[in-house]
Amino acid sequence: MDIRHNRLQKVARLHWYNVVDPVTKLLLALFLTLLSFQLTDLYFEAGLVLISLILLLLSRLSVATLHAVSFSLFLIATMILIQGLFNSQNAHPLVTILSITFYQEGVLYALTMGARILIIIFSIGFFMNTTTVSENATYLESVGMPYNQVYLLMSVCYILPQIQQNLKKIQFAEKARGINPQKTLIQKLRSLLPIMIPLIIKTFDQSINRSITLQLRGFNSPERTIAAPMYHYFKTKLSHYFLVLMIIILIGCKLWQIIKNFL
Amino acid sequence: MKAKNINDQDSRFSTWKIHLTVATTTLIPAAVGINYIAKALAEGLKLPLWLGSLGTFLASMLAGPTAGAISGFINNVIYGLTLSPVSTVYAITSIGIGIAVGILFHRGWFQNAKRVFVSAIIIALVSTIISTPLNVIFWGGQTGVAWGDAIFATMIGNHINIWLASFTDEFVLDLLDKFAVAYLAFLIYRQLPQRMINYFKDNQ
Repeated sequence: MDIRHNRLQKVARLHWYNVVDPVTKLLLALFLTLLSFQLTDLYFEAGLVLISLILLLLSRLSVATLHAVSFSLFLIATMILIQGLFNSQNAHPLVTILSITFYQEGVLYALTMGARILIIIFSIGFFMNTTTVSENATYLESVGMPYNQVYLLMSVCYILPQIQQNLKKIQFAEKARGINPQKTLIQKLRSLLPIMIPLIIKTFDQSINRSITLQLRGFNSPERTIAAPMYHYFKTKLSHYFLVLMIIILIGCKLWQIIKNFL
Repeated sequence: MKAKNINDQDSRFSTWKIHLTVATTTLIPAAVGINYIAKALAEGLKLPLWLGSLGTFLASMLAGPTAGAISGFINNVIYGLTLSPVSTVYAITSIGIGIAVGILFHRGWFQNAKRVFVSAIIIALVSTIISTPLNVIFWGGQTGVAWGDAIFATMIGNHINIWLASFTDEFVLDLLDKFAVAYLAFLIYRQLPQRMINYFKDNQ
């Protein structure tokens, strides 16, 4: 108890986002996403992008988030290009570059879509950067999620590095045997087989071993000790109820808009 | 190559079993890992394909559509939470792929190369039908693959309906991808040791 108390004190000194539970963070991401789909005004969208960006910057930036942003910015740029030129609603010219005219309607549509994408990336990025696999696992089990489902979700995060390690070994062995890079699509697909077959057999073999080990250790036993959550979270139920209510209202509004269009 | 009847008509797994056994619980993360690695290999070889559903195909073939659907779903959720948040919504497509593969395999549509051809078309159609609305909602109809988007841009430029343009963009890519994945899964499954296939079937 003392140990946990000390750990909580240590955590409390660390970061503000440690007192927000993982489910609240995910619900917040869902709420911001749904709100961005409810709004159609670009200024509001920009406001939401700013809010989610601040949320992300107040936590910490990871390389994965930066990769996701750079990939999406490229796609948003192609969206502006395609929609600005070819959107069926295009009527009012916005700008002409080298005799190519971009239209207001298409560019606005692409920017709105782009803003929504950024809101999703920033809000999910906030969740990603502020929670750990073990924190999520213990929290989900403590709130009543069946342990085999928790295991399913969390074990992926631990198994991936193991598979990547196997892949490197097999690729190294194949290179040592002198497999050359292929040129045509069929050749490339064929060259995958000598790597994929041993990798997949080894991966499934390891999962059989894991399954036997879990069975021997009584994975299916109904008597289990649930681990205590890692942090002391702030007003979890209140935040869950509030965010779920807001999400229901937003979904209701969207459905009402769709129904109204048919009436 | 050891040839064997890859589709036991007296399959010992129940097609729609929801209860997760320990064997399935450990198979699903492995399938998700295979999806990840296959996608990374495709990117590394600069293939114009994703190959990111190979693990889902194998999980459906080994343990039924439910295992495949869960593998696909978790794959997109994990991928979305670590690399590309928007891909989380495509979890619905992965569920559809997992279910389609499981049913087709169970009904003998992965027995030989000719049947795999038909299965690949059906799976590509399922994937396209589910993905097109998501593409329109999130990406204005684009798929994010340059040559597919070039088709989309050409069709939009010729005043063709955005839904039809997006469907064509997605279907062209999906068809090629699902052909590659279906044949890879077919060939890999034939190479799996019989004890491995039996283990996952017996533990359903």
